[in-house]
Amino acid sequence: MKARAFRALAGATGLLFVAAGLALFFTFFAYQRPGSEPALPMGPLGHYFAAFAGCALVGWGGALLAGARDLQAGRGIAPMTALALAGLALYRMLGWFMGDYYAWAGEVLRYEAALFLLLALAFVWLRPAPERRIA
Amino acid sequence: MLRWLATSALVGLFVLNLWLPSSPLGRRGNERTVRAHVPAAAAWLGQALPDLAFEDLNGRVVRTADLFGHPLLLVFERSVDW
Repeated sequence: MKARAFRALAGATGLLFVAAGLALFFTFFAYQRPGSEPALPMGPLGHYFAAFAGCALVGWGGALLAGARDLQAGRGIAPMTALALAGLALYRMLGWFMGDYYAWAGEVLRYEAALFLLLALAFVWLRPAPERRIA
Repeated sequence: MLRWLATSALVGLFVLNLWLPSSPLGRRGNERTVRAHVPAAAAWLGQALPDLAFEDLNGRVVRTADLFGHPLLLVFERSVDW
């Protein structure tokens, strides 16, 4: 039951990250077309880092998909995924507190932070147990 | 043990997220701090607007001198083109 829940969690999160990563990556190429309208409200520097984040998300999502297939791989990936998700929540919380993003994003930062923290908790508690080996 | 430690940290962050207010502080500081950074601006209060030229959304150049005699509202907004 727990293993199945972990596979579903890692698989769904992995797929989502790969899709979001590819979208961010290709947004950079779409932005470089002469005369194009940016899909994201950012300039050249913002798109540069969006493409970087996109590549990192594809790698992270791929690792999660591998963890969904192989539970022992997933056991290694889960704690760092939880840590990174907590990081995603933490900087959103600071952004929310400083108020600079409020006019643009409203309460979204706070909801996203809550979602990432719940996901991190799920990765902590659904982390697969170590494989038992008979000597 | 580590699992409970991680859970405590994550639950602590979750509670902080619920409790944390959104402040109008901003990255550059509050309004008083920002005003202190531009003391020269105070000298302009009550003075005539210098001649400025802006480009409108259609690419047409609009000069403030062309607007003399008309009611004029200038709105300065921080760009989100990061």
